[in-house]
Amino acid sequence: MKNKELKTNNETINIAEEEKKLVISRLSILSPSTVISIGSEGNFTVSELIDSVERGDRAGEKIVEIQLEWLRSFKEMATV
Amino acid sequence: MIIVTRPEHDLTTKYISLWAEEIINLARKKGIKVVDLKRDKANKLELSGRIKKLSPRALFINGHGNESCVTGHDNEVLIQDGDNQDLLKGKIIYAVSCKSGDVLGRSASELKGTVYIGYKDDFVFVTDQEHNFRPLLDPKARPFMDASNQVMISLLKGNKAKEASRKSIKKFHDNCQSLLTSNADVDSLTAAQFLWWNARNQVCLGNVDETI
Repeated sequence: MKNKELKTNNETINIAEEEKKLVISRLSILSPSTVISIGSEGNFTVSELIDSVERGDRAGEKIVEIQLEWLRSFKEMATV
Repeated sequence: MIIVTRPEHDLTTKYISLWAEEIINLARKKGIKVVDLKRDKANKLELSGRIKKLSPRALFINGHGNESCVTGHDNEVLIQDGDNQDLLKGKIIYAVSCKSGDVLGRSASELKGTVYIGYKDDFVFVTDQEHNFRPLLDPKARPFMDASNQVMISLLKGNKAKEASRKSIKKFHDNCQSLLTSNADVDSLTAAQFLWWNARNQVCLGNVDETI
């Protein structure tokens, strides 16, 4: 991600961890009966998805990407 | 005539397959012939044969995929860029299939008289475990499926491909807005984000003025 590339290695690690925490906190409030279908990655319960984000696998990375792009879209709208 | 592929080998394909019935029913109501390749009939041999023999005007492809292919039952590759994408020539394609709007979609859109509507990244949606055995009654899936189906509904009403895609994207955005303002349940914000994501990634490539 572009903003990460500008950071030193230590800062990059911190940002990645902050991103994960943000996404996990969002996911943890979802209804336990919710299942999320992420294309070919499969279907995930909330707890499975939290595990994916913690592990940093493809499904986890995709959820982080969606959340960050969503937040960036607001920033873009605010600066237009 | 339209050909519909509807694999049903996992939860995702089960949902999109069942929700595609609405489109099949609408097309038949309008007197448009539908060839329904469901479950194990959604395979490469069957699809290729039917396209060559029947020359359908449109293909409604439901299933998994990646940047360069769309798949059928048990993830069998149906159309692969660099292999058999010529089967799409002169057709209107709507693929509810992850990422195929990227490489395959761009490649198909260069074929004469072809338009490809699809998604250039993962198609993401929300379901409720309690409704997984009755996908058509799942209120969490409805905003996603309604918005996706809008492409085919608009095409069947005679709209140009670009208009069908525009209406579908608008529906994704409208449903996103409704969830953001409704506070219906704890999942609303997350579902809204995924609706926004799908709208952002839907593409309409090629001869966008084509109609069914």
